[in-house]
Amino acid sequence: MAIPGTPTRRAFLKGSAAAAGAVGLASHPLAFALAETFPSRNINVYVPTREGGGADRNLRAFTSVWKKYLKVNFENAYFPGAAGRVGYEKYMGLAKPDCYDLLFGNMGPEVLNWVVKQPSFDLNDYFYFARVDEDPGVLFVNRDGPFKTIDDIVAEGKKRTLNVAVSRLAHPASLGALALAKHTGAQFNLIPLSGGRNTMAGVATKEADLGALPSGGVISRGKNFRIALMFTHDNPVPDRTDNAPTINAHFGTNLPSLVAGSRAFAIKREAVQNHPDRYKILTDTLKEVFTDPEYKVAVEKTKAPWELIKYGSPEACAQQAKDLMVLGEEYKALLTGQS
Amino acid sequence: MEFDPGLFVELFARTLSFWWVIIPAIFLGLVVGAIPGFSAANTIIILLPLTLAMDPEIGLIFMVALYASSRMGAGIPAILVNIPGTAGAAATPLDGYPMTKAGRGHQALAISFVSSTAGGLLTTILALLAMPWLSQVAYYLHSVEMIVVMLFGISLIASVAARDTLKGLIAGFFGLMIGAIGADVVYATPRGTFGFLELYDKVPLIPALVGLFAISEAFLVIEQRSIITKEGQALMAKAGWAETWEGVRIACSKWWHITWTSIIGLVIGVVPGAGASIASFVAYQQSRTYSKTPELYGTGHVEGLVAPESANNGVTSGTLIPLLVIGIPGGATAAIMLVVLQYHGVAIGPDLFLSNPNLAYGPFTAMAVTYALMILTIMPLARYMSKVTVVSTVYMTPVIISFTLVGAFVSREYVFDMYLALVFGVIGYIARKTGYHVAAILIGVILGPMLENYFLRALRMSQGDIMVLFSSTLGNILWVLLAFSIGLPYYLQYRRKRRRQATA
Repeated sequence: MAIPGTPTRRAFLKGSAAAAGAVGLASHPLAFALAETFPSRNINVYVPTREGGGADRNLRAFTSVWKKYLKVNFENAYFPGAAGRVGYEKYMGLAKPDCYDLLFGNMGPEVLNWVVKQPSFDLNDYFYFARVDEDPGVLFVNRDGPFKTIDDIVAEGKKRTLNVAVSRLAHPASLGALALAKHTGAQFNLIPLSGGRNTMAGVATKEADLGALPSGGVISRGKNFRIALMFTHDNPVPDRTDNAPTINAHFGTNLPSLVAGSRAFAIKREAVQNHPDRYKILTDTLKEVFTDPEYKVAVEKTKAPWELIKYGSPEACAQQAKDLMVLGEEYKALLTGQS
Repeated sequence: MEFDPGLFVELFARTLSFWWVIIPAIFLGLVVGAIPGFSAANTIIILLPLTLAMDPEIGLIFMVALYASSRMGAGIPAILVNIPGTAGAAATPLDGYPMTKAGRGHQALAISFVSSTAGGLLTTILALLAMPWLSQVAYYLHSVEMIVVMLFGISLIASVAARDTLKGLIAGFFGLMIGAIGADVVYATPRGTFGFLELYDKVPLIPALVGLFAISEAFLVIEQRSIITKEGQALMAKAGWAETWEGVRIACSKWWHITWTSIIGLVIGVVPGAGASIASFVAYQQSRTYSKTPELYGTGHVEGLVAPESANNGVTSGTLIPLLVIGIPGGATAAIMLVVLQYHGVAIGPDLFLSNPNLAYGPFTAMAVTYALMILTIMPLARYMSKVTVVSTVYMTPVIISFTLVGAFVSREYVFDMYLALVFGVIGYIARKTGYHVAAILIGVILGPMLENYFLRALRMSQGDIMVLFSSTLGNILWVLLAFSIGLPYYLQYRRKRRRQATA
């Protein structure tokens, strides 16, 4: 009598035959082709910023839902330093062109890096294939300060030079402040304070007269700060920004939309050329995330305004990068201290 | 934000009921603080999924307990094996390690624990009582004032160099030059990076710290059988509870020293961006300046250990004030706490003190309770911890080098940083062998970039007008105090000399 739970001789032979057949079939090249699904292992994401920052929060929220569609996990590796330059150099140097290695960065300021100093790799060797948010560049002031509107700021800026706290010079929000000064004749002196947190501290402690940053962090501290102007073509969050006007509408300028925070996925161009099928799976599943209610829940948990979440196609990303490069070239002398 | 004794008693009792969260956080904090490269900030990031899942009040208590205990933990390897766990503990081994070498590591640990606890507790209570006024400090300490504060710390180079001025100053300037490596803060132009991208964001502190102090020390002690002297070994052999209590008694006798140096930490901690490394060096410099025996500093002097340990724990409560009052975190750990609070929908700012006093005052009561529980849990361990110093250097040296290399790697996860630690180890070894003080190099490396940052910021704000340095009343008062604190030791030395001559 067979012991319950113990395989019989017949069952053992059946199982062995099946296993041998499976091994034989799997070793056939055709079988490999048939069996291969993408992705069959975790996706690696190179992040050119620190853990715990805005990009990290954004990435975690996005991949927490994207992994459901790809059925694999994401492994993030953080390479902060030199305003993102270290992370890009690491990605371009180490990532394999197989669609398993992606980069997630803040497109706007990181593209402006290349205006200031070219990287060691060819800029055409990678491209942004999906933007996940559009965080407008804004000009903001301390709520307890003397400025209530953008007109107050411009009027004061014509009487004396105003110190404008910025994250760094090569940043879309900084370009917005420079463009505003050029158009209105106000005198702005940009003070790079190394990061959004320090920039807000500079305005909160009244060391700087005003600040220029992406809107997200400023909105989340709405009790401390008043947003005076948006550098984008429209204001996606009027109720949380004191209905701040846009630069083009208020001053009649014709500036490109200065999205200061635009987190985006990038990939090596060679990876897409080698594996167009894999790239299609990545982009198709990625788009599904934006319509998934779980993603809205994940974003709202991070306190980022849902209104800023917006899919950007590879073409939209390329256009944004091009616009920034053009504007960056216009102010290159100011950004590099050569004027 | 008015003081209500009833509310605080209730809050303390409530926080005490969370001992089951605080005690594990204390042990975790002590361990991560003691391992170079790890810190409260990166541990909280690693544990973010856990803290986000907790109730916000419990999560906050957990983070605060971990933060406060990691600060104390960083002092343990600094004292015992000359490895400061973080930049905030960089001034601790200046006098802590010589005590260990003399066989008084046991007492040094007890002094450090009492100073940290008393400094931390006192400043936490002060922060609670004086929060509305302390939160205003950040409005007055701008770039110009911070330049002078930095100079207080940097002037320590001159003190360290007291025995050989030329070598001390050369070491200090060498440190400042190393501190200038990396992209400049205004135009991000790389300087002295030798093409290494890993150096664009300045020389990373942890590899410099462990290389200069620990690896160079490991190279030196391998030439001996033990890190402690022969006389010290005899003392260590009989070390027991009596020595622990001796350390406690010595520390308690320095209560006034603990008080004022911890207040230095509290005030510096309130300024966003400033931190424990500045506070501990400034406190050490001030302690030496006003000491009757400045020549004993660096030789295992108790006050030289008390000052940095009290100050860096004073910073801990200070960094929470701008976070809770103006919503701007004072440091990296406070920034991560903000992420957790925002995740739970907690609106930071003055309104929080009215809408949710448990959450607003909770971090401070949690910190006070943590310090109280920490001293009870850690003090009995001092006698066992100090035994590590009697282990033969044959075993200790490879362990120290391995630990420090892992520590160098952990903070940024760059293999490059392990090589960098070794390079700094060789620099430190050569410096020690040739009579250059590694502490002077380190002060330059740590404080140099901060000084440059504030200096360039002030100059840019004034559009290049150097007179901006003397443009604020508070700044000018600080300049006078700086001149006074630099000149005073020379004056006192002159007076002592005159007195000796008169009595001879």
